Amino acid sequence: MKNKILLAIAWAWVTIPLGWGVYQSLQKSMPLFFDR
Amino acid sequence: MTFLSREATIARPGFSRWLVPPAAISVHICIGEVYGFSVFNVPLTQAGAGWTIPQVGWVYSIALVMLGMSAAVFGKWVDRGGPRKTMVVSCVCFCGGLLISALGVKLKSLWMVYLGYGFLGGIGLGLGYISPVSTLIKWFPDRPGMATGMAIMGFGGGALIGAPLGVRLMDQFKSTTSVGVAEAFLVMSILYAISMLFGASLVRVPPEDWKPDGWEPGPHGQPMMTNARIGVDRAWKTPQFWCLWMVLCMNVSAGIGILGQASKMCSDMFGVSPAVGGGFAGLLSIFNMGGRFFWSSISDHTGRKTVYSIYFLFGAILYCAVPWTQSTQNKTLFVVVTAIIITMYGGGFATIPAYLRDLFGTYQIGAIHGRLITAWSVAAIVGPSLVNYISTAKIEAGVPHAEAYNSTMYLMAGLLVIGLVANLLVQPVDAKYRITESPKDQEK
Repeated sequence: MKNKILLAIAWAWVTIPLGWGVYQSLQKSMPLFFDR
Repeated sequence: MTFLSREATIARPGFSRWLVPPAAISVHICIGEVYGFSVFNVPLTQAGAGWTIPQVGWVYSIALVMLGMSAAVFGKWVDRGGPRKTMVVSCVCFCGGLLISALGVKLKSLWMVYLGYGFLGGIGLGLGYISPVSTLIKWFPDRPGMATGMAIMGFGGGALIGAPLGVRLMDQFKSTTSVGVAEAFLVMSILYAISMLFGASLVRVPPEDWKPDGWEPGPHGQPMMTNARIGVDRAWKTPQFWCLWMVLCMNVSAGIGILGQASKMCSDMFGVSPAVGGGFAGLLSIFNMGGRFFWSSISDHTGRKTVYSIYFLFGAILYCAVPWTQSTQNKTLFVVVTAIIITMYGGGFATIPAYLRDLFGTYQIGAIHGRLITAWSVAAIVGPSLVNYISTAKIEAGVPHAEAYNSTMYLMAGLLVIGLVANLLVQPVDAKYRITESPKDQEK
């Protein structure tokens, strides 16, 4: 059980900032699809 | 300092190997910030010290050169000292470098910024980059490509986090007397230190002779793979090492040809606004990150030689197609083609550790990888120089801006063909390079 909690924390630790970074990049790339 | 020693990091029974990839990524997402350093260039010139963009640009160059040099020089120590000690030293160098740079900005001393972020931070980059490689390969002998691909994907993702984080922090701390760079460096050094130390506390090495349940080492289905032990001092005398050095150098040089000028290239070729060009660069960063995981995982099934042949052959065809997308003004096709190219650029970075493992075994794999990274440092200088020189020469010769990149694309395709030849020349390492005595005898 302890191992599973640690696994969840460890993966959340890296996926949350990575997800935020991808979201920021997607936002930055929006003009590519919607601007003329 | 027993907590940092290799012996203290040997995993106890019940430890999940799936904790090691997030430990590695925790370090790589921090040091990958170097890719996003350009967001500080203009603010640094506005810091009131009279610095110019070319002067500030040296910070990034010094950091990348030190990355390659430190990885090459300290690789053996990394393998001996273990991942935790290396991650902590990497943290001290990288975050300490940020702190010294913050002080340098406050004191308006560019040399302190060079020393901090460039020199010391660069050493932290090199150590941090290779620190988890051998550990991951030992934990995942069944999927070495996927395992190292995850860590190196984190490095690609570091830019996605570091650049917007830096911009937000500078906005937060901007005042009438400060552009906020020093404060941003300070906060980033604290945040990154927390993440890197978390990774260092989490990492474990497998016990001697550990293997995943139900997995048996060799005979491998792929003839290129070996269980032999080949040390770094012998490895770099083999033709295979230099073939792979060329493979990495050509792959990186070609990829930088697009990544380094993505925004401007898109604007020039399709007449779109700088905002759209910036959006294109942002999109490529995501594909760069994703390609690192995707292609390196694929390589576990296809074999490393096959996957690199795909990068180079398919990549060369796609580079040649870029001028055609411009001539037809098909922006969507242009984005698709360049996005695929960039996934393979990232994949080339991420698959190299597993390729080295196949050829030289796991003994001193970190040190061998460290020496190979010098190819990255060389490519980081050669690639952009080639691209800038050719496109500038074309424009000065009267070629329209929209078509000035065509020659560059054909040149990049040529570089990939050289990489393809180098890859095809890779053969299993001759048995005479193998080490027969035990590791303890080696250390005597």
